[in-house]
Amino acid sequence: MPLSLQLLAGVDFHTLPQQVVNGIMLGAIYALIALGYTMVYGVLKLINFAHGEVYMLGAYVALFASWRLGFTPEATRGTNLQSSAFNLVILLLASMAICALIGVIIERFAYRPMRQHARIASLITAIGVSMFLQFGGALVLPISPEPNVSGEINPYKGTYQASLTPSPTALVRQRDAAKQPYEAAQKTFDEYIAATHEDRFNLSPKGIEARDLAQQAERTYKDLESKVESAGVSVIVPKGQLVMLVTAVFLMLLLRHLVMRTRAGRAMRAVSHDFDSAALMGVNVNRIVVLTFVLGSSMAGAGAMMTATFLGTPLTTFYGMEAGVKAFTAAVLGGIGNIPGAVLGGLLMGVVEEMVVWAGYSSYRDAIAFVVLILVLLFRPGGLLGSATMEKI
Amino acid sequence: MKFVLGRLLSIAAALGLCFAIDVFAHSQNDYTQRLVALAGLYVTLSVSLNLINGITGQFSIGHAAFYQVGAYCGGFLSVRFYDGSPVHGLLWLLVMMAAGAAAAAGAGLVVGLPSLRLRGDYLAIVTMGFGEIIRIIVQNVDAFGGPYGMNVQPKFLHIWLIWLLAVSCIAVCRNLVSSAHGLQFLAVREDEIAAGAMGVNVTRVKVTAFMLGSAFAGAAGALLAHFEGFITPATFAMDVSFIILTMVVLGGSGSITGSVISAAFLSYLPEYLRGLKGPEGGTLAVTGASVAAALFATIIAAGIIRRLLDQARGTPRSRALGVAGIVGATLIGKIVIQWGLLFIPYLRELKIEAGQLRMVIFAVTLIIVMLLRPQGMLAHHELSWAFIGKILGIKAPAKAVTPA
Amino acid sequence: MKQFRISLAAQAAIAAMALGLFGITGCTGGGDSGATGTKTDAKTGEGGKIKRPPTTAPGNSAKGDTIPIGLVTSLSGDNKPWGDDCKKGAEIAVDDFNAAGGVNGKKIDLKVSDSGSKPEVGKSAAEKLISDGVLGLVGEVASGITMQMGQAAFEKGIPVVAVGATRTDLADIGNNMFRVCYTDDFQGPVMANFAYTELGLRNIAIITDKKLPYSTGLSDSFHATFTKLGGKIIDEQFYETGNKDFKGQLTNVKAKNPDGLFMSGYFTEVGPLGKQAREQGINAKLLGGDGWDSQTIITSGKPGIIGGYFCNHYNDTDTRPQVQDFLKKWAKKFGGKPGTTMGALGYDGAMITFDALKRAKSLDSKSLIEALENTEKFPGVSGDITLKGMNGNPEKRALVVEVTEKGFVFRKAYEGNQVKK
Repeated sequence: MPLSLQLLAGVDFHTLPQQVVNGIMLGAIYALIALGYTMVYGVLKLINFAHGEVYMLGAYVALFASWRLGFTPEATRGTNLQSSAFNLVILLLASMAICALIGVIIERFAYRPMRQHARIASLITAIGVSMFLQFGGALVLPISPEPNVSGEINPYKGTYQASLTPSPTALVRQRDAAKQPYEAAQKTFDEYIAATHEDRFNLSPKGIEARDLAQQAERTYKDLESKVESAGVSVIVPKGQLVMLVTAVFLMLLLRHLVMRTRAGRAMRAVSHDFDSAALMGVNVNRIVVLTFVLGSSMAGAGAMMTATFLGTPLTTFYGMEAGVKAFTAAVLGGIGNIPGAVLGGLLMGVVEEMVVWAGYSSYRDAIAFVVLILVLLFRPGGLLGSATMEKI
Repeated sequence: MKFVLGRLLSIAAALGLCFAIDVFAHSQNDYTQRLVALAGLYVTLSVSLNLINGITGQFSIGHAAFYQVGAYCGGFLSVRFYDGSPVHGLLWLLVMMAAGAAAAAGAGLVVGLPSLRLRGDYLAIVTMGFGEIIRIIVQNVDAFGGPYGMNVQPKFLHIWLIWLLAVSCIAVCRNLVSSAHGLQFLAVREDEIAAGAMGVNVTRVKVTAFMLGSAFAGAAGALLAHFEGFITPATFAMDVSFIILTMVVLGGSGSITGSVISAAFLSYLPEYLRGLKGPEGGTLAVTGASVAAALFATIIAAGIIRRLLDQARGTPRSRALGVAGIVGATLIGKIVIQWGLLFIPYLRELKIEAGQLRMVIFAVTLIIVMLLRPQGMLAHHELSWAFIGKILGIKAPAKAVTPA
Repeated sequence: MKQFRISLAAQAAIAAMALGLFGITGCTGGGDSGATGTKTDAKTGEGGKIKRPPTTAPGNSAKGDTIPIGLVTSLSGDNKPWGDDCKKGAEIAVDDFNAAGGVNGKKIDLKVSDSGSKPEVGKSAAEKLISDGVLGLVGEVASGITMQMGQAAFEKGIPVVAVGATRTDLADIGNNMFRVCYTDDFQGPVMANFAYTELGLRNIAIITDKKLPYSTGLSDSFHATFTKLGGKIIDEQFYETGNKDFKGQLTNVKAKNPDGLFMSGYFTEVGPLGKQAREQGINAKLLGGDGWDSQTIITSGKPGIIGGYFCNHYNDTDTRPQVQDFLKKWAKKFGGKPGTTMGALGYDGAMITFDALKRAKSLDSKSLIEALENTEKFPGVSGDITLKGMNGNPEKRALVVEVTEKGFVFRKAYEGNQVKK
């Protein structure tokens, strides 16, 4: 077999559409965080290493807000609380606002005093701030047991399923026919347990017989069911994650409007083009830098709130590390300092990562982003949409 | 003749120094020995990164990758071939160091080549990404033990050799900077285009810097593998690269002695903080409010002092007074902030043990040193007799300039 | 002054010559100390049968009127939640033991040192504690760090009681290594047997955290036993600690339609995995190891994780007095319940060391190693622990528990010797 075929031996073209959709949803979040990196870089030429930690704090803000709204671990245990879209909006706004504030504080006390000095010094300060928030946060924020934003706060449960090619009806009929004996066998076993009061997991020899029969019927049914499922092609999108995608797109469009259509946005672009000349032209540079941090950090806050709420990951103070590195890579991939570039880079990275998983190399998923980056930079040294100018540090 | 004699003398002095360190370390307990050995490795790493970052001006933030390449190359060869090899003992270790250096230099070549077209930050992320790629590959290769790590046999505990490597690295960098070749490196750092116009082969200089720096990191990695006897991908995570970079910048980009001092300082600092004791000798515990207040007050004060120094108004004396005043105000500020924070019940109840503050103090030290002295401890100077004299106000006798 | 333009190559040559010269003649500093006889391939599990190399170093002895014992744990970094719990558990053990009179009136002085969740820092921490004169070490929660600690301790003749390190080849370092948790070699087969016999699963997909030695080892041992029993592993997917979105891996798994999904990672990733698996329409039974043990898995994994089974050390509804006592003391001292299983294991690790000190002939490391080796049926929170004749790996039982909305429910116990491997 030729090598190229061997490499693709594990792929299943039935799942390709689903994986592309997965990649877009993953990439949208990368893009949202990458915007913060790219905007700060555009204005200050500083890689804001603490951006991942702002993201982490955003997730914690969402957590505290959800507790405040009554979705504490105690309250959600065993009961089903009702939630509404309003709660999500509160969480989103809280995360965005507090993250914006944190971004401004970091800028004010750690980056502004460094502005006239070598950029590498600001970079080390950024690394210091990032470590400070990771290790210092671990002292004051709740980390054990690692808390998570309750999934109950998400009112959009369930999934949308689009069937691209339906399964053959013959198979479906066969499966439906097998369902009845399967349920009957289950029932027999349940009745046996109810009658003898045996422990399901420590059965008598007779019980084991009954159990094995039930298991046999179950396997037959499941086999058919899996045949039905693998015959068709469909795309599943959890409703919550669709909300996430829509919100991300909305925020990106909003940001684009702010940067391209408003006075402040024009000033921001001017500062990004040439910091000193913009100052000479009467732009209040400090105010623009603050605005940049507000916008960038609030995007990170929005991303954090959405991953924390819809994906269910428990929080630690290292929550932002992976996302930070990936988003930074996405920003560079698209051309750092370039806003559409960050979005393109994020989406591309998300899709490429899922393609690697699809091809059966999930253990290399975290490396592929960098491989793609290096390849792109070999041919376009300034990133996909960036300009390649030489510059010394 | 005089030159050769001088060189031989300085080599002898360097060797003497290494053995003195070795003898000193072995007179102490094993913990101190370990710290001395690790400090030596970090000195090699930071000086070699300084060659790339400080001297040649290439922005590399993935130095741990080369360290890892060297460690795994040396370790793997030892595990596979030591038993049947004709060379044993120290000579084998030297061969392993050479192999680690060669492998890392090869890796340096691979990273250095694309760097020719990339500007600062793009290069930074490529080097960082390269580090991640290496880590993930090692993690997925069963011959290297995957995530389990690799037991390396035999073990060698030569502290003098670790320091000899550090001293050789320092010597090579120092002599490089004062040679005609080295001036090319500096020229590339200052202005690539101008350097090219003056006939410097920019490509060759960049790649040489990468390969030379990586080779030393690789040799250090091979030593680490045989010193520890066990290596895992976790030993070479991304934050190790950041710490090496921090050592370079904290000491002063381009200053070799600065790198040495800050490498020794930063590798010792977290270990020193481990031993913090309370007033009665027990574990020190403070309230969350106190810790938070102290940290914020310090960072804010450092920021203000920086602004004050930047404005550069007034005489040195009035500035010194100002700094002293701010330090005093910080102490008062800390008490005030702490009083305010005590109203937050959570922070009042929270007890933090000094042992847990280790990495936080490390991070705050970084921020404060950078705020107060952004150019690094020694800036671009070297800690030489002339420089000490300059600080103390003694004028060094002018060197006689002799034409070549 | 032409000599000043001496070329770079010549300088390098001089440096190399100096190195080489001393390489041949100056063999003074230490030499080869190849005492630690471990092999990389030992992870496949002959841990119980290899005769372990005995440590020959003298070790420390108690001099003052307290007995110093060291605890190395992750107080900063990735593993902090586990490390904190371990420390709290050990502190309760110290309180208990000292309140009961200590060893002939001598109190325990627990010295804690931070491993920073990093192997080489953990080794420094161990060296520091050993140079401070501790008789024995307790910790770490992670296998990689324990490996480094164990080697340092072996050279000094100090016993190590590992708390959460389930990696199999740890015990091969030497006769100073003990642990209170079972090995990956045990809990993998337990879950394989449970899945094959009790649940009747035949086609299983495995999802492994490639960054964790723990997860990789557990997946390997599960894989081996399950295929030996006659089941099939139909898919293997990987992720890394810190990943949040697993839809890609789960889509692949779904296409293979397994009846069971073995997820060997920590609860921080397994919770979201369970939740997202359900969202992707996977209805397979979920299975895992002791890394699942935290109430967080319920809150973060709902509803997907409900109905999953995992292998645990103890269960908080257990009526054994040790368990209820421990939980009461924890609630009194720190409030709530331990966040992870390391609370109980930290307690057991410390307590088994103190218990051995009581039985030791004299208060020094050598006697402590002997006494630990002779531990039989120590009534720990996580079950009765026997170390005698086990080469450092305890014989204890494993519980399979089910995840329900209200908490973990005990389903089946496996004794140490009744598992088919």
